[in-house]
Amino acid sequence: MNTEEIVVSQKHTVTALVQNESGTINRVVSLFRRRGFSLASFNAGDCEEPGLSRMTFIVEGDLSVVEQVLKQLDKLIDVVECSALPAESSVSRELALIRVQPTAEQRDSLYNLVLEFYGKTPGAQGDQIVVEFTGSVAEVEDVIKALQPFHIQEIVRTGVVAMSL
Amino acid sequence: MQERSGAAIVMESLVKHGIDTLFGYPGGVVLPLYDEMLNWPQVKHVLVRHEQCAAHMADGYARATGRVGVCLATSGPGATNLVTGIANAMMDSIPMVCLTGNVNSWAIGKDAFQETDIQGITIPITKHNYLVTDVNDLPYVLAEAFYLANTGRKGPVLVDIPKDVFQKMTSNPFPTEIHRRGYQLPPDPDPAQIATAVAMIEAAQRPVLIAGAGVLWGEAFDELKTFAETNDIPVINSLLGLGTFPRDHELSLGMMGMHGEATGTLAVQAADLVIGIGARFDDRLTGDTKAFAANAKILHFDLDPAEVGKTVSPRAWVIGDVKATLGEINKLRTTQLSHPEWREQIRGWQAQYPLMVPEGKFLSRTVLRALNEHTNGEAIVATDVGQHQMWTAQFYKFKKPFNWMSSGGLGTMGFGFPAAIGAKFARPDHEVWAVVGDGGFQMTLQELQTAVEYGVNVKIALLNNGYLGMVRQWQELFYDNRYSSVAMGSPDFGKLAEAYGVKYFRCDRCEDLDATMEAARAHNGPVLCEFVVEMEENVYPMVPAGGSNSSVIMDPALTHVEPPEDVVASFETTHSVHHAPEVAPSLTGANK
Repeated sequence: MNTEEIVVSQKHTVTALVQNESGTINRVVSLFRRRGFSLASFNAGDCEEPGLSRMTFIVEGDLSVVEQVLKQLDKLIDVVECSALPAESSVSRELALIRVQPTAEQRDSLYNLVLEFYGKTPGAQGDQIVVEFTGSVAEVEDVIKALQPFHIQEIVRTGVVAMSL
Repeated sequence: MQERSGAAIVMESLVKHGIDTLFGYPGGVVLPLYDEMLNWPQVKHVLVRHEQCAAHMADGYARATGRVGVCLATSGPGATNLVTGIANAMMDSIPMVCLTGNVNSWAIGKDAFQETDIQGITIPITKHNYLVTDVNDLPYVLAEAFYLANTGRKGPVLVDIPKDVFQKMTSNPFPTEIHRRGYQLPPDPDPAQIATAVAMIEAAQRPVLIAGAGVLWGEAFDELKTFAETNDIPVINSLLGLGTFPRDHELSLGMMGMHGEATGTLAVQAADLVIGIGARFDDRLTGDTKAFAANAKILHFDLDPAEVGKTVSPRAWVIGDVKATLGEINKLRTTQLSHPEWREQIRGWQAQYPLMVPEGKFLSRTVLRALNEHTNGEAIVATDVGQHQMWTAQFYKFKKPFNWMSSGGLGTMGFGFPAAIGAKFARPDHEVWAVVGDGGFQMTLQELQTAVEYGVNVKIALLNNGYLGMVRQWQELFYDNRYSSVAMGSPDFGKLAEAYGVKYFRCDRCEDLDATMEAARAHNGPVLCEFVVEMEENVYPMVPAGGSNSSVIMDPALTHVEPPEDVVASFETTHSVHHAPEVAPSLTGANK
């Protein structure tokens, strides 16, 4: 049996509290680009403190990459604090809006499916229905797969937001 | 507080921070500032001939003093011309405040005349930057800009100020202190990390240390000297660390790296402990990191946690100001250590692999050796990048800090001459030399006019070999002598000097060298000394890019010695060096 350690590229959740000023998002995202850090998902939004934002990043790479990401983020003057969230002690969620165009015959089964997944249908226009779903990335992808037969027209995803427990 | 304009606030902030000189170039949107400047005679404005040189002069001013350098440019092309100079300062962590004007705040984003997004452009090459759209923010922003530039790991900070912000009035005062959440000064060194470091130092049989520019900016020279002497540790410098430890000290091994002295390179490969102090283990120093210091534990002292483990994997480290770290260790490690066998081995390498200056030819090395002798290693010396830079680093024996300025990280041709001008403004009583090649000098020689206008007593040692020498060397060694766009034509430098009104000397043979040096040094004013040197001279030793430090190519002039097995690739095997197995050196037989 091969007992050698296999270094696999993994996804890590990193969160940062930043001061919300001119150029802040540009500066943060530019850091990932110029240092070649692989950014799978990015989200920024207001938080509990006025003037500050909280950002969530999904970073691909091994632990040494995550360590460099944190150290380099921390060097940015706008970044107040940052940390990596361990999967077992954090919650991460993504919201997706999926516009589908079911046939008249499919409508009932669409609504059943949305109920089954604990989703919502916040709006409809003509024969198009917007499905809203919140869950882990894997769950969002399951829902998208399940909605394929209903003629998906458009998908919008927020990217992951995460919080430690 | 009385109301005053944004322009007056800029000038006031310069005075508050002790800035007596700024380097700049006017233009439309900075007219209000240039008008205000006339009311502030205590701040000298140096009118450059290209904004890139304003940045390099501010950089030289900073490197010569340890203080913040300031440059100023107008919007659009003025600002973008600063970019190379800012990137250069960022790579070498130089404290600078770069001021740019921008179009009126209400015109930003509308592609106004001479508008450019200099904040966006300089995000990756500044420690921090600002676009100030409200004059009420200006006092705080300027104070914070100076604070950020000159604390922690230093670096350039850019403040972009729209024209109307210069004109608008505010009574907002300057802050009495800066509080920036999330920006922390380096921590006090952790006692546990210090204890580990001390134990490693005491256990080492073959220690060396690599002192970088962090020692310079942390002003830790005295602590470094005590540390090295008490613990009997030979001192290697990174390129930018030269001058932080006296080169004439018996423990000094000079520079290491791609063209470092062989002894330092061999010592690191044979050492059992390598201590990096304020040095970032860049690729030109380490070569192939997998083979770097293969027999050693690495101990790293740095104030920037991001440098620890970035390129090499240290066994232990101390995060904090290196002055504090060395001070703490010096308190604990007071008994004299000694490593006589190790020192003996190093002396052996020094005898076996000296830097060579073949006699009977007129070489760049001949000139730089003479420059060192004539100035007793005490002048301020600035260089560009390339062969002349490496030879200066090898042959100029810096005794004191803040005398050496070279474009280390970015490797900027054209840096040396304007940096030397900046240094001379900062320390007018000190002898200043710019050592440049014929390639680099042609990138920024328009500043001859600046030197003449302000009577800047800078000496230029122009080493003219008719080539972009370092590129030519690589084409010779790694591209089978296929010279591609490296032959460099030049104007008649004598006529050029005459046109600018600069004193000129030409020297093309050893016999005239001393007299030329003496005449240049005796002249009170800018001097251009053209040394017409051997065309095809190579820099040795050399570790090919990405190659292992165990396969350093020695100077072929060292034909009388046997290279140590596994450590030294002979000159003939140059082409196989890239593919050579990375064999750790077996120099002592004691490595485990």
